[in-house]
Amino acid sequence: MDKVYKIQRQARDNVNTLQTYLTDLQNWEIEMKRKEAALNGDFVQDLPPVRSKARKDKPVQVKKQPEKRITGSDYSAWAKFDVNKACEEVDMADLGPVSLDSKKSQSAKAEKLKEEGRYEKERGNNFVKQEKWDEAISCYNRAIELVKDDAIFYANRGLCYLKKDSLHQAETDCTEALRLEPTYVKALQRRATARERLGSLRAASRDLAAVLLHEPHNAAARRQLEAIKARMGTKGAKSKSSPLSTPTNESKPVVTNPPSPAKIVELPSEPVKKELSPLEKWRNGVGENITVIRPVKKPPHLRSRRALKHVPIQEVPLGRNAHDKAPTRMKIIEINDNMSHGDSNNNDSNKITEKIIETTPHCDGDKKINMKITEHVNVNEVVQNMVPPVNSVQFMAEWKYLKGNNHARSDYLSIIEPTKLPSIFENALESDVLSELLYTLCNNKDKFRNKTISAYLKGLCKVKRFSALAMFLTNSDKNLLNDMLSHCKDVENLSDNEIADLTNKYEL
Amino acid sequence: MENGDTPQIITHIEHNLNHCLFDCKWIPCSAKFVVIGSLPKGSGTLEIFEINSGELRKIKEIERPNSFKCGTFGASSDIERKLATGDFKGALEIWDLEKSGQIYITKEHTDIINSIDGMGGNTLNCGAPEIVTGSRDGTVKVWDPRQRGKPVANMQPVQGETRRDCWAVAFGNSFNDAERIVIAGYDNGDLKMFDLRTMSLRWECNLKNGVCYTEFDRKDIPMNKLVATTLEGKFHVFDLRTQNPSKGFAQVLDNSSKSGTIWVARHVPQNRDLFLTCAGNGQVSLWKYEYPEQRYHVDSQGVAVGVPGKLRRLQRMVISSQPINSLEWNRDHLGLAVATAYDQYVRVLVTTKLNLQ
Repeated sequence: MDKVYKIQRQARDNVNTLQTYLTDLQNWEIEMKRKEAALNGDFVQDLPPVRSKARKDKPVQVKKQPEKRITGSDYSAWAKFDVNKACEEVDMADLGPVSLDSKKSQSAKAEKLKEEGRYEKERGNNFVKQEKWDEAISCYNRAIELVKDDAIFYANRGLCYLKKDSLHQAETDCTEALRLEPTYVKALQRRATARERLGSLRAASRDLAAVLLHEPHNAAARRQLEAIKARMGTKGAKSKSSPLSTPTNESKPVVTNPPSPAKIVELPSEPVKKELSPLEKWRNGVGENITVIRPVKKPPHLRSRRALKHVPIQEVPLGRNAHDKAPTRMKIIEINDNMSHGDSNNNDSNKITEKIIETTPHCDGDKKINMKITEHVNVNEVVQNMVPPVNSVQFMAEWKYLKGNNHARSDYLSIIEPTKLPSIFENALESDVLSELLYTLCNNKDKFRNKTISAYLKGLCKVKRFSALAMFLTNSDKNLLNDMLSHCKDVENLSDNEIADLTNKYEL
Repeated sequence: MENGDTPQIITHIEHNLNHCLFDCKWIPCSAKFVVIGSLPKGSGTLEIFEINSGELRKIKEIERPNSFKCGTFGASSDIERKLATGDFKGALEIWDLEKSGQIYITKEHTDIINSIDGMGGNTLNCGAPEIVTGSRDGTVKVWDPRQRGKPVANMQPVQGETRRDCWAVAFGNSFNDAERIVIAGYDNGDLKMFDLRTMSLRWECNLKNGVCYTEFDRKDIPMNKLVATTLEGKFHVFDLRTQNPSKGFAQVLDNSSKSGTIWVARHVPQNRDLFLTCAGNGQVSLWKYEYPEQRYHVDSQGVAVGVPGKLRRLQRMVISSQPINSLEWNRDHLGLAVATAYDQYVRVLVTTKLNLQ
């Protein structure tokens, strides 16, 4: 009974399993159909070679026992492990075939490197054509790294340095190129140019002479040589001679060849004997109680390592000693004072001048005297010190400084060329300044006798945006203008046309 | 019915064809298979069937003047899926089944190609795609589909020796690009193992009866086990891990079935210790190889000797009235198999509970 039951259960179980299996199968069928539909396109596989072909080079790939791995715990083996050699091996594996010892592969590698170098050179040349010197230099750097013994790469890099004004580097490169190929004319020429600009004229001329030896018809080289010879003749090759010109230094790289100290000493010693120009005197601090600080011309690695000293800077005007300082307004008034009150070297001269200035507008008699005096002084002093302005800023500074001193102003104005007025003011002339100018012109007609009032008026109306300024002229200004125009007509014999033109311009 | 975990072998679909069948192969990555056979008039057929919810649907049929004997997809990738066939006249052909055309044909064998095997098509780092064929002319040839017309290796008896009919060939030990072994069984019971890397005969033995079928449990691993079936209901299982210089490989022999010739033995792709044998009386038997505790021992001379394991029959079932001449497990679905028999039936077999073994 028990057995029968077991068999029955077994059978039922089996049917159940089969049922689930068949459902699975059906699902699988559907899935496979979907998968198969997705299966298309190319299938590329990295396959081993055909057996019969592989056999041919079988002796080459003799089964080498792979080197034994050193386990992490094997300390004694690790102690013997040559890390540098392993690194080198890895690097070499990147470079190419491992069998470096075989001659064939070595020459093949050299050929490959040369090919690479040529490619880099081509790239560099393209950059040179586009005048991209830095990129070209980096290309040539790579080329030189790949192939160390090609003169062309050095000469081309030299050219780039020459163009970048890295003269020492240019010279070194050209020298290297010439070491590899002594008859390389281009390198010689480039080195000559570099040396010429470095100042070693003799060495440059020697290089050019070598160029002419190889290429007698090289016109450019001949011209350059002649120019250098001319320079040597005038400037004196002796002062300009540099250590470079000694033949022993010829082949040596001169990257870090600073102007030797001997040169510095030699240079000032000679002209001191001659008559020094004032500028030269000032530069050397002759007759002044100062130490002249000169710019350092040493390359960085030769400079002192001590910290820089702090030097307080004092302003000293050009060409004057400290005690005869530039005259100020104070001085003018002093003389003014002296004239009116006799000699008085007192300290309160300032106050007195102020009084005088304050009083001038009020008392006519005093004013006239004062004016006459100042006129003299101005002619002697102010005009001497004043320089005609070139722009409105200079003019305005001076103009404001002379405020209240009508004579000084008129003097100042008289030194200005009327035709330059438009270029001085450009478009910075303002109506109040214009009014002041007109006032000054009108009140000091006789000062402008030479240059004529009309010239000033014409100059003013040529200033930019003058028409806008003319609109804002006040009635008093217009009165002044009318006065001046009649003066022009009477005294300066201006034609009616010109008068009419001016009237038009000033919108009278 | 000893316990509830016994696998069941069930015929899922039976489909009658009106001609003789020799071989059947699953098309990789699909629910389709190819049936290779010959018509009574002597022409060969390739028929493609698809299983479709319990039914077989014929998709395509290719007919050729010469009868096909065997075929394999082993040397082709899962995407290209080119079928290599051997025919009665000794020609090796590779077929593009989508376009129904040959892409490779060569006739180097002078007689029928009895057996074919392929390798390297869809397994990476397991060597070149190669096909091996064994023929009645006594030669075993290895082909590369990339090399036309000529085999890449040829194994034949030396001049003057009698040429034995080669009934079975198989690839194995192809665990890297260099190593590969061909095993060949002959009608006189010879079993020869050729090493393709060294191009030498590695091992041979005689099984006393003609070798009908031979197969490694896996092709793409260092060789582990080999099954060789013979006439008179016997089959041998060799443990290939340990080769003794004098005794060779350890083996276990089963001759319990008394079922006539064992035509086929196929390992389950998902479990290499299970295999199915198909006998001349239409019986299929599922076997399990049980490893010994120690797979080798060291003998008195200090040389390792392999120790054979045991065979256990899990299930048997008569599914046909005539000998089953071919069977193939599906690679993608555990327990699904297709078989052809001389009773002109193609059967889809289902085996349950294989995963419990």
